[in-house]
Amino acid sequence: MKPSLPLIAAATILIFGALAPVIFSGEPYVLYVLTLALCYAIPVIGMNLLYGYTGLVSLGHMGFAGVGAYTTALLMKSAGLPFVPALLTGAAAAGFVGLLVGIPCLRLRSHFFIVVTLAVGMILFTLFNNLDPITGGAEGLPGIPRPQGFTLGSFVVEFRSVSGFYILTFIITALVFGLQVLLVRSDFGRALSSIRQDETLAAARGVNVFGHKLLAFVLSAAIAGVGGAMKVLFLRTAAPLSFELQESINLIVMLILGGAGYLIGPIVGAITFVALPEFLRAAAEMRLIFFGFTLLIVARFAPRGICGAVVAGTRILSRKDKNLVRHS
Amino acid sequence: MATAIFEQLINGTMMGSIYVLMALGMVLIYGVMHVLNFAHGVLFMTGGYLTHLFFFNLTGSYPLAIVLSILTLALIGVVLEGVIFRPLRDNLRMQIVASVGLILIIQNGVIQLWGPRALQMRTSSVSSLVKVGQLSFTMQHFVIIAVVVSAVTALYLFLTFTRLGTAMRATSQHPEAAIVVGINPNRIYALTFMIACALAGLGGALLGPLFLIFPQMGDAPMLKALSAIVIGGMGSIPGAIVGGFGIGVVESLSTLVIPSDYRDTIVFAILILMLLLRPWGLFGVRVRGEH
Repeated sequence: MKPSLPLIAAATILIFGALAPVIFSGEPYVLYVLTLALCYAIPVIGMNLLYGYTGLVSLGHMGFAGVGAYTTALLMKSAGLPFVPALLTGAAAAGFVGLLVGIPCLRLRSHFFIVVTLAVGMILFTLFNNLDPITGGAEGLPGIPRPQGFTLGSFVVEFRSVSGFYILTFIITALVFGLQVLLVRSDFGRALSSIRQDETLAAARGVNVFGHKLLAFVLSAAIAGVGGAMKVLFLRTAAPLSFELQESINLIVMLILGGAGYLIGPIVGAITFVALPEFLRAAAEMRLIFFGFTLLIVARFAPRGICGAVVAGTRILSRKDKNLVRHS
Repeated sequence: MATAIFEQLINGTMMGSIYVLMALGMVLIYGVMHVLNFAHGVLFMTGGYLTHLFFFNLTGSYPLAIVLSILTLALIGVVLEGVIFRPLRDNLRMQIVASVGLILIIQNGVIQLWGPRALQMRTSSVSSLVKVGQLSFTMQHFVIIAVVVSAVTALYLFLTFTRLGTAMRATSQHPEAAIVVGINPNRIYALTFMIACALAGLGGALLGPLFLIFPQMGDAPMLKALSAIVIGGMGSIPGAIVGGFGIGVVESLSTLVIPSDYRDTIVFAILILMLLLRPWGLFGVRVRGEH
């Protein structure tokens, strides 16, 4: 079998990602930006399941990410739980809140579902911001410990340094990405796609539309929870501003920028969205304005995002190649 | 208690009238073009900054500054519709992306031009107080309510009694039929955006002197207006008016009962309840399979 373009791209990203600490060993700033980008890539993968494959837009996903983040942070800080169980509990908590929201709200369609998720996100934000005894209010929870390192024989693995934490985030992102691939390639994933393409037809063919939507919503909320937890562990403080409406909107923008419905779309989108403005240092203060224009251009000319544009580009190129062969 | 309720009623009506201006603009755009304009808040903010600019650097007269900034925003509206939103009609997802792009451009553009700090514009209407019993309000409170009531009345008369207004309603009800009777939909879309942006600019121009003028000043009014049009019924103009005033009054009165930090929670909880129980809103019409 000829290796397909997405496969090559995925392998390249995987190798490059794993080697990043070596490549950028002298530049902690680059690693810092990459880690932050991966912290966003995780919830965007959740968003991809929901929007890219199921066709539902949520503008409140950072609210669920916040539930996961605060749960994990409190468990690690106050209860002293180790990293892995704390993270899994955080994901479960985010998924549970997603379930509570999804059961009543998934009956709504298009604009109405978007608005209800937006409202849920806003309510979760006001709770993070004001439940001072639990969340620390507007100042947030400072001093969240980084995960404990361990030793394998003579090999020391630690997550306190920039490169150590980058590797941890990279591994978690790779696991979530793997989960995404498994889900999308399964019968469940195909059922989600059928719902996106035609809900009525899917229902007529025996797909439990509501059940599938609900499961996709819960899974994407739980994945968002993992992303939120990684973000607060990275920044070492859980602040409500990390989970406000603007951040939820940014998630959907990252997904659409990268390419919704493509497996690597979320990664491409998150890295572009977080890293591009950071590296546009030449434009200094104007970079966000420049980025705004980039979004306008994407909206107008590349509706399937960067991945969609690349796929369309390679298709045109390979067609030209065939023409050349035929004429020579 | 009675005076506290009365005070919050006046405050609520004042904020509510600002929400009504925003909600009317958003509902017009949604009703006619099926675009949810998330960038409406930055247009509101632009109205505040332009009024500040015209007031201090050009005219020195507050009413004249308001008129100039409304006209500028109307022009901006025509450009935005033609260049950005017309090609994205019926493409809800890309409208969101384009809105975020616009928000980034305008918000950071304003920071570039005026700096990130809040601006103050104390007009005479803010300094002069009106005494009502033991309470005193700024003149601006009543200016806002009066201007909004006249603007809403003018809009109502325009939509009901003029040919252009009728054409707008026709396009909103049935675009194809409107084309058949000779209405040019593109002109109607431009007009809709023009009116909506002018209303947002008027809102910013009115609220700016009372509070401060800062890059995020439009975010909260936009969200409240969004809630108002959903509660009132998407696409319904009376719904937007009732929803806007209702949200303003309810959030003000709620501060008497619960801490004001949870004001937004109340508004969004009402929004969610409304969506779950009656997604077509107070004044909307139920269409099967649409909600």
